[in-house]
Amino acid sequence: MAELVTGLSAGAAYALVAVGIVLIFKGTRALSFAQGEIGAFGLFIGLRWSDRGVPGFGWHLPLLMTLFVAVAVGALLGFVVERLVMRRLVHRPPLDGVIATLGIALFLALLEKQWFGAATQFAPSPVGSWRVRVFGATLTAPRVVALLAAAAVAVILYLFFERTRFGLGVRATTDDATVARLLGVPVNQVYRFAWVVGGALAGLAAALLAPAFGGLTPFAQTSFSIRSLAGAVIGGLDSIWGAIIGSLAVGVIETYVKGHSSIGGVDSLAVLVLVIVTLVVRPRGVFGSAGAV
Amino acid sequence: MLSDRRRLFPLGAAVAAVALTGMLSEVRLAVLFSVIVTAIAALGLDLLVARTGELSLAHAAFLGVGAFTAINVGGRGATWGIAVIAAVAVTAAVATVVGLPSLRIRGLQVAIATLAFQDAAEKYLFTREDVTAGDKLLSRPSVLRTDTRLYLLALAALALVLLVRRRVTTTRAGRSFVAVRDIGERARSFGVEPGPTKLLAYALSGAIVGLAGALLATHEGTIGTATDPFRLLESLQLVAIAVVGGAGSATGIVIAAFLVKGLPQLAGGDFLRDWTPIISAGLLVVAVVAQPRGVGGVLRDIVDRALPKRATPSPPVEGVDLASVERPLALRLPVPALLRAHEVSVTYGGLRALDRLTLEVRKGEIVGLIGANGAGKSTFFNAVSGFAPVTGSIRYRDVELLQTRPAGRTALGTARTFQDMGLVRAETVAENLLLAQTWLADYPSALGILGLGSTVRRERELRRRAHAALEIFGLRELAGERLGDLPYGTMRRVEIASAVAAGPDLLLLDEATAGLGPEESHALAGTFLDLRAELGLTLVVIEHHVPVIARVCDYAYCLESGVLIAEGAPVDVTADPAVIASFLGTRP
Repeated sequence: MAELVTGLSAGAAYALVAVGIVLIFKGTRALSFAQGEIGAFGLFIGLRWSDRGVPGFGWHLPLLMTLFVAVAVGALLGFVVERLVMRRLVHRPPLDGVIATLGIALFLALLEKQWFGAATQFAPSPVGSWRVRVFGATLTAPRVVALLAAAAVAVILYLFFERTRFGLGVRATTDDATVARLLGVPVNQVYRFAWVVGGALAGLAAALLAPAFGGLTPFAQTSFSIRSLAGAVIGGLDSIWGAIIGSLAVGVIETYVKGHSSIGGVDSLAVLVLVIVTLVVRPRGVFGSAGAV
Repeated sequence: MLSDRRRLFPLGAAVAAVALTGMLSEVRLAVLFSVIVTAIAALGLDLLVARTGELSLAHAAFLGVGAFTAINVGGRGATWGIAVIAAVAVTAAVATVVGLPSLRIRGLQVAIATLAFQDAAEKYLFTREDVTAGDKLLSRPSVLRTDTRLYLLALAALALVLLVRRRVTTTRAGRSFVAVRDIGERARSFGVEPGPTKLLAYALSGAIVGLAGALLATHEGTIGTATDPFRLLESLQLVAIAVVGGAGSATGIVIAAFLVKGLPQLAGGDFLRDWTPIISAGLLVVAVVAQPRGVGGVLRDIVDRALPKRATPSPPVEGVDLASVERPLALRLPVPALLRAHEVSVTYGGLRALDRLTLEVRKGEIVGLIGANGAGKSTFFNAVSGFAPVTGSIRYRDVELLQTRPAGRTALGTARTFQDMGLVRAETVAENLLLAQTWLADYPSALGILGLGSTVRRERELRRRAHAALEIFGLRELAGERLGDLPYGTMRRVEIASAVAAGPDLLLLDEATAGLGPEESHALAGTFLDLRAELGLTLVVIEHHVPVIARVCDYAYCLESGVLIAEGAPVDVTADPAVIASFLGTRP
C-alpha cells in the first residue's frame, strides 16, 4: 500500500509532463521529446536566481518563486518553440517534428551544461519541507503537490475540453486541422495554446520532480520525460485520461520493481518492457483512438 | 553512377587522410580516431533513418553493446579478430531484436521504444560489472601496436562501411528499404516483404555501429564505467550528425562528424570547444525546418555546378525479351480462362465491398471493368493482387491465388498498377523499374551487399529489362529523373512500364487514363493494344473513359456497390440502361 502511494505520487509528476505531451499531440499532431528539458531549463534559471539573485536586481528569489519561474520560462519556451520551429513543421511527416524536438532538447541540455555546469544541482523543494503520512507511506511536500496538481490539471482540462468553445476548437483541430481552419477555428492559436500550456506543465513538473528525485542535472530531465512519454504512449497519445492513467501506472510499477529488487536500473528495464508490451499488444495505447498514430 | 572526374573526390580524400597520419601528434590522431568512430556510427544510423524512415534513439547504446562485447570476448582470451567479429554480430543481433516491435508499430512509436531501450541499456546494462568488465582488457594484435596504425585501420573500416553503403543503395536491399518506407505493404507485389526488410535494415545498421564499437574498444583497451559515449546525449548527437550531414549523404555525414567531434578539439580554444555542440544542436533544428538537405546537399550542389553530370550511357536493349522470365513450374498448361474469379466477396468491417463476384478473363483479351466510384473495382484488383481479405476463389492459370502471397502472385504472372501510384516518388525512374523487378532479383538482399559476380550480372540484366520496358513507353531518356519531378501523366506511364518490367502475362491497370487529357488517353489506349500485340499481354483495365473502353476492350464488366450488374461487349454494356443509371446515380 505504501509503495502504491509513493508510486502514484511519482506517477502524478510524470503525468503533468505527459498531459502536456498529449495536449501538444492533440493540438498539433507533433510528438514532443523536448518537454523534460523545457521544464528543466526553467527550473535551472529559477534556482540560479534564487541562489545568486536576479541579474541586475541582486534580489534573491524565495524558493516558492522558483516554481513560478520554472512554469513561466517553460511557457515562454513553449511559445518560442511553437512560433519559430513547430509551426513550420505542421504539414511535414511526423518524424520531422520528433527530430526537431530532439534537437531542441539537445540544445537546451547543452546550454544548461554550459551555463550551469554538468554537476547535479541541489534542488530544494519550492513548496516547503513538510511531510504527510498516507497509508503507511511518507510523502514529501513536492510529491503531495504533484498529486494535487495532477488531479487539478485533469479536472481543469476536462472542463476546458467539454465546456469551452476553445476546447471544442482544439478537439476539432485534432480531428482535421484543415477543416477546422475552414470552419473558423483559430488553428494557430490552438497550436500556440498547446505548446504554452505544455511548456508550463513541464516547468511545474520539473520543479516538483527535481527535489523528489535528488536534484537537477542537465539532460537528466530528458530521461525522466521517458517516463512521461511511456505513460502517454501506454495510455494512448491522443487521450488526456490515458496519459494520466498510463503515467500513474508507470510510477507505480517502477516504484514496486525498485522496492523489490536491488539490481541497478531495473526500473528502466521495467519501463522498457511495459512500453514494448503495450505497443505490440495494442499499438494505439489503452485509451487511444484508432487513427491516433 | 559517378562520372570519371567525380571518382577522383573519394580517392583524393582517402590519400589526404592517409597522408595526414605522418604529420599528426598522438593527441590529434586520437581526436581523428574518435571522429572516424562517430562517423561510422552515424553512417550506420543514417542507413536506418534515411533509407527506411525508422528513427532509432538507441544507437549510442548499440555502440556500447559493440564495445563491451569486444572487451568481454577479447578479455576472455579470444583473438582480436574474433572479438571484432563478435562485436559486429552481437550488435547486429541486438539491433534486430530492438527492431522487432517495428513490425507492428510505426515512426513515432519506434522512436519512443528505442528511447526506452537506450534508457534501460544505460541504467541497467551498462551499470552491471559483468557487462562493463573494468578488469578485462582487449589487447591489440602486434600490428596495431602504434596509434598511427590503429588510425589507418579505422580509415580502412570507414572505407569498408562506405563501400557497404554503396552496395546497399545500388542493390536489392537499398531499394527494398526505401520501398518499405514510402509504399509499405504495396511493395509486397514487387517481392519486397516489409517485415524481413526492416529487420535486415536494423541488423545492417547494428553491424556497422558494432564495428564502430569494436574500434572504440580497441583504442581504449578497457572502458569500465567510462560509459559517456554510450549515453542518450550521444544518441541524439548521432541523430544530429546524420541529419545535419544530409540524410543519405555519406560525404556530408563524415564532414558533419568532423565538424562536431574533430574541429573543436583540433582548433583549440575554449569557445569553440564549448559552443560547437550547442551550435550543432541548433543546426539540427534549422536543418529540419529549412530542409536544405544538409552539408551533403550543399556539397552536391557545388560539385554539380563545377562538374556538370555526364549522361550515363544506358545499356543496350536489343535482344531483351520481357516475357521470358522463369515462372514457378507447371503453369504453362493451356487453360480456357487465364483468370477466373468465383463468388469473390470482400468485407471490410460491416461493409461488403464485393459481393459474390464471378468473372473470367481469357488469354489475350483486354477486359474493361467499369462502375461508379465505390463500386468495388479497385477492391477486385486488391483481391487479385493479395491486398484484401477475400472469401471465394480466384484462380490464375488454374492455380488458386488466395493461398499465395502478393510476391508469389507477381511471380505467377500478374502485375498491377495503383490508382494513386504504387511507386517511390523520391527515387529515379530507373530505380523504380528495378524495384518492380525485385521478385526477379534471384539473390537475397543481404547477399547482394557482398557484390558477388552473380549479383552484378543479375543487376545488369534487370537494368537491361528496365530500359527495354521504358523503351516501349518512350521513356528511356527519363531513366535518371526523379519520379516525383515528372508530370502526372508521365508518372502514370512509368508505373505501367514498371509493371511491364516485372514480366507479367496479366496486367491489371487501375484507372491508367484518369487525369489525362483526351489526346493522352487516346495515345495510352493505343499502348494497351501494343502491349497485347507485341508482348502478348492480357489486360484488365479499370476505366471511366467510354471512348477508351469502346476502342480497346473485348469484353466489359460493370459493378455497382460490389455487385456485378452487367457484362458483355463494351457497346452493349455501356448502352445498358442499368449501367447508365448507375453512372448517373438514378434508378431506372
